[in-house]
Amino acid sequence: MQNRFLPYLLTLPSLFLAAVVIFWPVWDLIQISTHEVSRFGQLREFNDFANFAALAADPDFMAALWRTGQWTVLVVGGALLLSIPVAMILNTDFYGRGVARVIIMLPWAVSLTMTAVVWRWALSGESGMLNSALIGLGLIDHNIQWLASAETAFPMQVMIGILVTVPFTTTIFLGGLSSIPDDLYEAAALEGATPLQQFREITFPLLKPFINIAIVLNTIYVFNSFPIIWVMTQGGPANSTDILVTHLYKLAFRIGKLGEASAVSLVMFAILLVFTMIYVRLAMREQRA
Amino acid sequence: MSLAKWTVGLMAGMSMLAFAAQANAGEVRVTVAEYSAKTGPYFESVKKEFEAANPGITVKFEVVPWEVLLQKLTTDITAGTNADLSIIGTRWLIDFVQQDVAEPLDTYIKPDFKDRFIDTFLSPSIMDGKTYGLPIAASARALYYNKELFDKAGIANPPATWTELQEDARKIKALGTGTFGFGLQGKEIETDVYYYYAMWSQGTEILNKDGTSGLGTPGALEAAKLYKSMIDEGLTEPGVTSNNREDVQNLFKQGKVGMMITAPFLSNQIKDEAPNLKYGVAAIPAGPTGARGTYGVTDSIIMFKNSKNKDEAWKLLDFLFTTEQRAKFTQGEGFLPVNKEEAKMDYYVNNADLAAFTALLPDARFAPIIPGWEEVAQITSDAMQKIYLGSAEPEAALKDAAAKANAVLKK
Repeated sequence: MQNRFLPYLLTLPSLFLAAVVIFWPVWDLIQISTHEVSRFGQLREFNDFANFAALAADPDFMAALWRTGQWTVLVVGGALLLSIPVAMILNTDFYGRGVARVIIMLPWAVSLTMTAVVWRWALSGESGMLNSALIGLGLIDHNIQWLASAETAFPMQVMIGILVTVPFTTTIFLGGLSSIPDDLYEAAALEGATPLQQFREITFPLLKPFINIAIVLNTIYVFNSFPIIWVMTQGGPANSTDILVTHLYKLAFRIGKLGEASAVSLVMFAILLVFTMIYVRLAMREQRA
Repeated sequence: MSLAKWTVGLMAGMSMLAFAAQANAGEVRVTVAEYSAKTGPYFESVKKEFEAANPGITVKFEVVPWEVLLQKLTTDITAGTNADLSIIGTRWLIDFVQQDVAEPLDTYIKPDFKDRFIDTFLSPSIMDGKTYGLPIAASARALYYNKELFDKAGIANPPATWTELQEDARKIKALGTGTFGFGLQGKEIETDVYYYYAMWSQGTEILNKDGTSGLGTPGALEAAKLYKSMIDEGLTEPGVTSNNREDVQNLFKQGKVGMMITAPFLSNQIKDEAPNLKYGVAAIPAGPTGARGTYGVTDSIIMFKNSKNKDEAWKLLDFLFTTEQRAKFTQGEGFLPVNKEEAKMDYYVNNADLAAFTALLPDARFAPIIPGWEEVAQITSDAMQKIYLGSAEPEAALKDAAAKANAVLKK
């Protein structure tokens, strides 16, 4: 008998911590989002999900929802596509590999906000480094106003998002690659497999579990990522680069609609929860098969 | 990374702290906004001087960047861990009064104390006949112009009207040296205000007499068309929607922009960063009927209703609003004097820049005292950005914005 309860007993402290850190705030959010709420968070009466209805009727929210999807897919996908070759190169033995690894990892060491601030300066229309570099190289003949409209600002933000996601993703893949035994490649080479075949038949299948982890973790991080977009454009001009989390910040702390902001927060939580559950299910079924 | 979780986590943490943090007797906690690098050191010296003069009272200043001030106050008040005193934007005051978190100061204010203030600046903090805040910082906006560029372009005087301003901008553009006539702000805080300068000169107010939004009026449309035509003609800096106030100020400091409208603190910045720049300060241009308006802003320091040390907090307020303290703060930050005695000091009387600002005060409009003002401002800024970008026609964008603003105003 004792043995059956022991594991539960042992996990109780961490469960309790999780409850305080996760469940309680979520419960709080549910409370705030379903009630009339004052400017400073005092709850009033239950309001029949009016906050959620307001969101559904708000074109800015819908646009931000759609853009969050694009943002997440592009940044996570881009980081993935870039990280696999980078990790493979860094996994081979070459002179200066240590330095190369450090360089790839460096963006990770800088705070996201600082990175975004530096890019904001670099992308400045009249005195930005990027424009002077491009003009110096003769690629453009007049300054591009990178952050003036979403057409140029959003792709830039996605690019920076990819840049700062690569180090973490590469680290995961490096770990994955080092777990693949070298004999496999030697045997394959002996049988006359080309590098491309080796990648398709050995590297990629064995790397799959790591790719899955990278997708899940990066999706959660990127979906919720605030600093890059906030620092560079604050979701503007005219909300055209807003994602859900910047939209939420404006609702809560600029305009003071804590109820609607909590509703956005819950929607985000639900999306991530559903995504993670479906994805983990799929990935695990695949592994079992 | 996850802001949402971070925020709720913070709120949760704060409310737990609420049980732990008992205010010490005789301790006054003050949340202050960081206006510049000089703010922190100034309040440090206040702490020293005040504590020396008032044994038994300790003061704790929390210096918070302006951008996160409202967020901090919201979370603090929600959790009940707010300070005794706080600086707030006076335009937020109505929310604080309606939610019953601000203490009326009338029981403390003696007539001679009230008499220290210039009325224009004290009145925005008075609501329903009660004084809820004291103006700790005051500012207005005026037109800065680059004298060197004006000389080169053969312009003798700063523009008195918007038509003249357009003419001058054309002449500066014609110099062809990579300089821009008029610096137009199109990003972040006060994007809406930059538009109001043109709107006020058309005789249109932010709110019509019946309390509806002024954005739907012909005057508002004229003003939007004016800015849009200047952008299209290349009279402004390119990429208007990527430049916030600081960006435009930087262009002005670099001598790349002929004219811009901003606050008196630009003079202080120029003194420090571009001492060789020759510039002047003039009135904001008038419209066809001679109407003109500048934006007046005050920040108020308020006392919270739940403060446990109100008498001590009041002593500190009394100290902060002595002429000597006021002069030190105002001159360091480059604000306008709110104190009558202070305004008579040589520093202000002999300062041509500041004189231009104070001369504009009769035309000053303060942010209207309505709940939901921040949302109306946001709606206006968004509409302006769409117009500047050309992604919406001025007429349609303004009509849409007016409808949205009216929906907020009706609540």
